[in-house]
Amino acid sequence: MTGADSGFLFTFFNAEVARQYWPVIASGALMTVGVGLAVVVTGTLLGLLLALARALGSRLLTLPIIAFADIMRSLPPLVVLIVLYFGLPALGLPLSAFAVTWLSLSLVLAAYAEESIWAGISAVPRGQLEAARSTGMRWWQAMRLVVLPQALRRALPPLTNRVISITKNTALGSVVALNEILNNAQGASSHSGNPTPLMMAAFAYLVVFLPLVVFSRWLEQHWQQR
Amino acid sequence: MPILEISGLQKSYGDNVVLRGVDLEVNAGELVCVIGPSGSGKSTMLRCCNLLETPTGGTILANGHQVTSALVDINRLRQDVGMVFQQFNLYPHLNALDNVALALRNVQRRTKAEAQSLAREALEQVGLGAKAQAFPGELSGGQQQRVGIARAVALKPKVILFDEPTSALDPELVEDVLNVMRDLRGRGMTMLVVTHEMAFAHAAADRVVFMDGGVVVEQGTAAEMFEHPREPRTQSFLARYGSRLT
Repeated sequence: MTGADSGFLFTFFNAEVARQYWPVIASGALMTVGVGLAVVVTGTLLGLLLALARALGSRLLTLPIIAFADIMRSLPPLVVLIVLYFGLPALGLPLSAFAVTWLSLSLVLAAYAEESIWAGISAVPRGQLEAARSTGMRWWQAMRLVVLPQALRRALPPLTNRVISITKNTALGSVVALNEILNNAQGASSHSGNPTPLMMAAFAYLVVFLPLVVFSRWLEQHWQQR
Repeated sequence: MPILEISGLQKSYGDNVVLRGVDLEVNAGELVCVIGPSGSGKSTMLRCCNLLETPTGGTILANGHQVTSALVDINRLRQDVGMVFQQFNLYPHLNALDNVALALRNVQRRTKAEAQSLAREALEQVGLGAKAQAFPGELSGGQQQRVGIARAVALKPKVILFDEPTSALDPELVEDVLNVMRDLRGRGMTMLVVTHEMAFAHAAADRVVFMDGGVVVEQGTAAEMFEHPREPRTQSFLARYGSRLT
C-alpha cells in the first residue's frame, strides 16, 4: 500500500468503507433515536407520576418510591439491562432487545427524574399550595396550576442533564444485540476489518445528541428567566 | 346574621395544645380584629376557619355550613371564605392579572374573557389596575399584598380572613394595605383580621378580640377594649403595645 491508501486516513477515515457501511450506521442511528425518544417519554412521565404520588404525603406510597429511586440510582444501568434481559425470560416474560433496553433505561431515568422533580416540588414554599387551595382549588388543580410550573422550572437543569446522560446509555443496548449505532458499528468494523465504522458511529452520536445538548442549554436559559 | 360561628374550637399538635376552646362570632359586614401575643393561637384559629388546619375539637359554621363536616364540599366553601396571607403567597410564575384570574377561571369555571374582566375589576379596586401585567417579583411588598387581597376579593367571598396582612411589610408600605382594607370595610365586606396594627384595630374595627393561651380572653368594641380593658391580661398586653397607639 502506498500514498493515500496508507496510514491514518486509510485506517480511520476510509472513504470506501464509509460508502459501504453508512446505511448500516444510519439505520443504527434511527434505532438509537427511537429507543432514546421512547426512554425520554416513558422515563420522564413515570418519574413525574412517582414524584406526584410522593407529594401526596402518604408513607404507604413514599417508602416504596424512595426504595425504587435509591435502588435504581445505585445499580449501574448495564446491570439493570443484563438482569432484565436474562432474568425476565426465566419469569416467562421474554422481551426483545428493544423492549428490554427501553424498559431498563426508562426505569433508571424515572428514578432520577422522580428525585429531580420531587426536589423541585419540595422547594416550592408550602404557602403556594395553601394559597391555591384557599381559593377553592382541588389538590390536583393546585398542583398542576401553581406548584408544578414552579417545581418543573427548578427541576429542569438537573433533569435535562439526566435525560442526556441516560439516553446516551442506549449504547448499552449493544450488549443485548440491539441494532443501535454502536452495535452496528462494531459489526461493520469487524466485518470490514477497519475501524472507520467506529469513527462514523462517533460522528452519528454527535449528530443525534449534540442538538439535544444545545436544546437543553437553550431550554434551561429560556425557562430560568422568571 | 353570623357569617362565622366558632364554638369550642380546639387544636393540638400532639401534646402541644394551641387552641383550648375558642368561641367567636363574626356577623355580616363586621370587621373584627384579633389581637394577642405571638403563640396565642390567633393564626391557627384563622386557618381552622377555611380548614388549612384541621380542628381537633369544636365546631365552625361558615355561612351556615359546618366546615369540618364530611358532607360539605370544602372547595366550594373556600370560595365563600377568602384568605389573605402574611407572606402574600402570590404565584410568582403568573402576572398580577393571572394571579387573580386563576381561580375565577379554574374553580368558578368562568370564560377567559369574564375571568380577566373580573380580575381587572378587583385589581382596580385595590388601586393596581395599571400593574395587571406585572409579575410579583416586580411589585413592592405592599403592592403584592394588595394583589393578594384582590385575589381573595375577586371570588366574591362572604368573609375574608386576614392573617397578619401587614406583618411582612416595610413600615412605609403598611398604610397602603390598611387603606385597601378600610375601603373594603366601606363596601360592606365581612372581615376577620389577625393583626399587630393596634392603631388600625382601634380606628377601623367594629369589634376587637383579645386572645391569649389558646382562648378568647376578652372582646368588645374597639373603644371598650383599648380604653377600658377589663381583664388584667388584656391590660398588660395593651400596656406593652401602648407606645404603638396614637
